[in-house]
Amino acid sequence: MQKIIVCLKRVVDYNVRIRVKPDGSGVVTEGLKMSINPFDEIALEEALRLREKGQAQEVVAVSIGPEDVQQQLRTALAMGADRAILVQTSAELEPLAAARILHKIVLSEQPGLVLLGKQAIDDDCNQTGQMLAALWDRPQATFASKLELKGTVATVTREVDAGLEVIEVDLPAVVTSDLRLNEPRYVKLPEIMKAKKKTIDVVAIDSLGVDAAPVLRVTRYDTPPVRSKGGMVKTVDELVTALRDRGLLA
Amino acid sequence: MGPGGYLTAQTDLRGYLTEWRGLYSGTTPCVLLPSTTGQVAEILRLCARHRIGVVPQGGNTGLVGGAIPHSTEARPQVLVSARRLDRIRSIDAEDFSITAEAGCLLATLQAAASEAGRLFPLSLAAEGSCQLGGNISTNAGGTAVLRFGTMRDLVLGLEVVLPDGRILDGLRSLRKDNTGYDLKQLFIGAEGTLGFVTAATCKLFPQPSSVVTAWVTLPSVAAAISLYGAARDHLGDDLTAFEFASQFTVELVLKNIPGTRAPLDNPGPWNLLMEVSTPRTDSGLEARVQDFLATMQDGNRIIDGVVAVNRAQRDALWHLRHSMSEAQKLEGASIKHDVSVPVARMEDFLADATAAVGSMVTGVRVVAFGHLGDGNVHFNLSQPQDSDGAAFLARWDEISHRVHEVAVSFGGSFSAEHGIGALKVAELAHWRSGLPLELMRAIKFALDPLGIMNPGKLFRAE
Ligand SMILES: Cc1cc2nc3c(=O)[nH]c(=O)nc-3n(C[C@H](O)[C@H](O)[C@H](O)COP(=O)(O)OP(=O)(O)OC[C@H]3O[C@@H](n4cnc5c(N)ncnc54)[C@H](O)[C@@H]3O)c2cc1C
Ligand SMILES: Cc1cc2nc3c(=O)[nH]c(=O)nc-3n(C[C@H](O)[C@H](O)[C@H](O)COP(=O)(O)OP(=O)(O)OC[C@H]3O[C@@H](n4cnc5c(N)ncnc54)[C@H](O)[C@@H]3O)c2cc1C
Repeated sequence: MQKIIVCLKRVVDYNVRIRVKPDGSGVVTEGLKMSINPFDEIALEEALRLREKGQAQEVVAVSIGPEDVQQQLRTALAMGADRAILVQTSAELEPLAAARILHKIVLSEQPGLVLLGKQAIDDDCNQTGQMLAALWDRPQATFASKLELKGTVATVTREVDAGLEVIEVDLPAVVTSDLRLNEPRYVKLPEIMKAKKKTIDVVAIDSLGVDAAPVLRVTRYDTPPVRSKGGMVKTVDELVTALRDRGLLA
Repeated sequence: MGPGGYLTAQTDLRGYLTEWRGLYSGTTPCVLLPSTTGQVAEILRLCARHRIGVVPQGGNTGLVGGAIPHSTEARPQVLVSARRLDRIRSIDAEDFSITAEAGCLLATLQAAASEAGRLFPLSLAAEGSCQLGGNISTNAGGTAVLRFGTMRDLVLGLEVVLPDGRILDGLRSLRKDNTGYDLKQLFIGAEGTLGFVTAATCKLFPQPSSVVTAWVTLPSVAAAISLYGAARDHLGDDLTAFEFASQFTVELVLKNIPGTRAPLDNPGPWNLLMEVSTPRTDSGLEARVQDFLATMQDGNRIIDGVVAVNRAQRDALWHLRHSMSEAQKLEGASIKHDVSVPVARMEDFLADATAAVGSMVTGVRVVAFGHLGDGNVHFNLSQPQDSDGAAFLARWDEISHRVHEVAVSFGGSFSAEHGIGALKVAELAHWRSGLPLELMRAIKFALDPLGIMNPGKLFRAE
């Protein structure tokens, strides 16, 4: 195929401890380390491997966000993406808005495959890929732990509650990656330097003419209740008594 | 001592009486597990009265047999474990300090600091098992010495029980306290020979918010040293770790430790793990490090390198570094050296020491890795392949002495961070003979005239 599009979301690094703003209006993001959503990184790695196997000619990384998301796109280019597109906006987008924007990009780029992470680790929505497939009116294969292309068909192994499910979808299609799809590569120095010369096209969100207004109203953010500290028991009898006291044992 | 305060059954004692590498095992009628400073004081008072030796033990991860009651001692000894002295007494984020008891695991301290939005910078491969008291008593080093110093640089105040049972309360968090002799310094690195450390107040630092970790391959140690100077010039204080390892060491890790993978497909003879970090939210840090390394590659000072793009990759690179001791352990008998030399002499030291041991034992395998930024290398030797391990170990003293001679000839030390314990008593007597040893003995006698604290460690009784 000619082209694979990989969608990358910038999120607060998974190692950062998230704090809720004192007024409950959101979480603190200023000054925190930001990274590519780990599932998206896996999606990118998969696209690169397909290209290296000769099954695609070009890998295009697409992100939506403020200007400094270019930094994460540079990382994607250093990993091996051929070029990148940034749809620039300072607004927080919901999955539907993101899917609408990605749909516009997909229509103009005409890829043979779109790869995304199964979910972003900030809102954990797990919706964008599915919504994009619906808008685009193409098949979807979510939670991929294995992906094989043959002609116009993609064979995808999915991680589902009952185990593994293997499905075939017609291309072009949307595939979202699960954790075990692959292990992303290290970025080598010469690639980092090469990436500096690759292009990032910046597209103003307004120029796409999509409705990106939020449809959900968030009333309040709260930290989850702290787990109460466990206690130690000395004997089996004590354990049994403790469980009985809590009604956990008849 | 109360219930849970002591152990006497031989099966319960075993874990306390053998050390990590299995080089030493000891004997004692009982292990005592005090849970308060007052109990430690009572133990020491009784032991002094009855002239019983006291062997302090922390996490028992020390590598020189310092925390083991050796059966070669004539007097009876009890082992006193700090394990139950494990409370964090206070954290003061504004004062950038933490006060904790000796038995706190290093990893627990790090986590508590992090919880308070601060960094406790001491870090080493044994951090899940070693304790604050052991770190202090060995003046531990580790992988962040370059930026934050050794344990000595991190201690603000100590609470110590003296050999007669009196308690020296110096738990102050003052940065400035010029009030006569700085007594706490005596106990840092004393390896339990002057008193029992029960608690400490330590420095905390701002938490790093940007961290960049790179793995670099190099053509030579000389290239690594030149890179080190350039890195400090370029990145200043943001350079936090500069660890190195021979390619042979890395190959042992890849071979013996499941789940590890090579960072690069074009390795060179030497490898570097470099970390740069800053508490600033410095979005340009990554680019600065990349540009710096690219310039070095253009100048042929490095062969190639990778930069971790996420936390998982960063952890994987550190896992390679932290698995080196373990990987070597699986290669049979080993003779280990923990030497330091001025950074600029590292290449000369390695060349001479490698030649020296090669001429003593044909086929000996040099496993060299360590903290290049501190001039500290673990110049470890694995037995020749398919040889008799016991015969190799039998030559420990002779081989070690030769390696130490080479280190000292370059202005180095025969013991950089692991200390003396029981292992290097003869070497200490040799390399610090005369006035230094005389002064050490004078200090020992002033604090512990009965010689009950950790008998036979550092030096033999007169
Ligand atoms: C895998 C591995 C990696 C290591 N890496 C490093 C490294 O990078 N840098 C480094 O410096 N060391 C390193 N070490 C050595 C060791 O972990 C450190 O020296 C550590 O500080 C020892 O702490 P511990 O609590 O285990 O002390 P122990 O081994 O229990 O005791 C060490 C000495 O301190 C004395 N002692 C312990 N607690 C007290 C106390 N409360 N009061 C008085 N004396 C006491 C003991 O008597 C003994 O002499 C490593 C060890 C291992 C096994
Ligand atoms: C204007 C002013 C500002 C100051 N600001 C500071 C400050 O910001 N911080 C600070 O810490 N101090 C400050 N001080 C105090 C003083 O300057 C410092 O303590 C300085 O380190 C003393 O050095 P000195 O050579 O003058 O020593 P001296 O005053 O000559 O001696 C000080 C002590 O050291 C001993 N001593 C001197 N030389 C030796 C030696 N070679 N061997 C053994 N013992 C020796 C002396 O016997 C004496 O006990 C200040 C003083 C002044 C006048």
